[in-house]
Amino acid sequence: MVCTGCALLCDDIEENDCVKHACRIGRAHITSMQETSPMVAQEIVGMDAAINSAADILADAENPIFVGFGNCITETQETGITLAEKIGAGIQTFHTEIFDDILDGAVKTCTLPEVRDYADVVVFWGTDPMNTHPRLLSKYAYYPRGEKRQRGWEEDRTAITIDIRESYTASICRDTHMIPPHGHADFMSALMDALRNKVPKTAYDKKRILKLAGVLKKAEFGVIFAGADLIRSVPRDMLIRLMEQLNSVSDFRILPLVPGYNLRSIATQLHGRLDRGDGGDGSGSSVDLQDSDCILCLGFDLMNSLPADRINGKTIVIDPNETLQSRYADVVIPCAAGGVDCAGTAVRMDGINVELPQSRESERISDQEIMRRLLEVV
Amino acid sequence: MGKSMKMDLGFDEFLAAPEYAIIVVTYPDIFQTEAKLLHGKFSEEYQDLSAVIVLDSEDLEKIGVKYGDLVKISSEHGSVVATVKESEKEHPGIGYMPEGAWSNVLGLGPVSAKVSKSGQSVPAIDELRMSYSN
Repeated sequence: MVCTGCALLCDDIEENDCVKHACRIGRAHITSMQETSPMVAQEIVGMDAAINSAADILADAENPIFVGFGNCITETQETGITLAEKIGAGIQTFHTEIFDDILDGAVKTCTLPEVRDYADVVVFWGTDPMNTHPRLLSKYAYYPRGEKRQRGWEEDRTAITIDIRESYTASICRDTHMIPPHGHADFMSALMDALRNKVPKTAYDKKRILKLAGVLKKAEFGVIFAGADLIRSVPRDMLIRLMEQLNSVSDFRILPLVPGYNLRSIATQLHGRLDRGDGGDGSGSSVDLQDSDCILCLGFDLMNSLPADRINGKTIVIDPNETLQSRYADVVIPCAAGGVDCAGTAVRMDGINVELPQSRESERISDQEIMRRLLEVV
Repeated sequence: MGKSMKMDLGFDEFLAAPEYAIIVVTYPDIFQTEAKLLHGKFSEEYQDLSAVIVLDSEDLEKIGVKYGDLVKISSEHGSVVATVKESEKEHPGIGYMPEGAWSNVLGLGPVSAKVSKSGQSVPAIDELRMSYSN
């Protein structure tokens, strides 16, 4: 089976009496048996009543917005976009702008197997994959032997972290740069100076930054894994300029490490559209959540992800699990978990399409079916 | 950093609990994610791994708390009570909280906050809506 616990979409998972090969997150995701009931106004109702009630709210809404989309199968995303178009709803995703830059060709990228086979310098910037994408280091980025990296992490790869805290990932890297909170942009600016052979004007240790620039320049195949903390902390064009700077002296790719197993798919589907928003840190979007009179949360726990005081209006939750938002939602519609209770497709973080077979028997209906029924009724 | 200032918490025991300025940085925690998936967001297991602040030993001494004590963390955005953990590393003036509903009360990190010893209890996840300033 394929694990949908994170965007690595590990396809070597075996599930018989026990789950084999999955990480801690994957095992918990696959074995999770949380059940919720359809609800309207916090009262348990039948599935049809919940869907009809959600349809009524959507039909009456003047400024609806759909949020999330990162934790559902591609087919659900497609139907969700059609529904949003039909009722004039905005779509807000989070941390997807960097995928736009990748899809536009503004920054170079690569696949995960290419990282395994060729990468000699990997930078984890504003991310702690050991806690978010646990098998990244063992399957692709650091430990494994690859076609041109037969000696793996011991001799062939250099791993570097740049972060505002000393993460678990930092503890296994040879070079760690701790920067102050809000320090990503300053550090990046200093690094770009160093890449131009200028002594950076910065409060950071200039020698260490020059040394870092030297390592990056010598990379044969460098990869920056950009975390959500980096993406939301630096101007979008600054990251592009850094990549241009790196590629003028070296050979570097970027891969985002952001929450949501299928975020790249929704980013691809919405690419180039003007009517979508990217929340980033949740503050910017084409439709402000506070102004919306109806928020549909699709596989996204809004109140657990953003400060709850930004949420007004009625809320509809479509999610496999009970969420904090569902405790306050006007309508709750439980659904099947993609790749566990229902089959579908997804796009891995590096752009590879992956089939998700259903891994266990379930009577739960898929979120695609829920969106399809909403589309019929609204 | 570390500048103290008296405040009235409204009850005798902590009447004189001083506040210290810190910056709260959030972080992902695989054990917290696992607890969320296995036990749910309303479980004790999830709360125990979420309503936590990791502080530098120097800061613990200044605030007058130790591992397992409770502190109130307040920002412009809201206030929340969390359990103290002592950091194995040095990072005076910076407190680390796991990403999630409790740290969200303070605003999207990193945020400037004040921390003081607290006699209140850790709020359950569905009580956190009351913790916002506005």
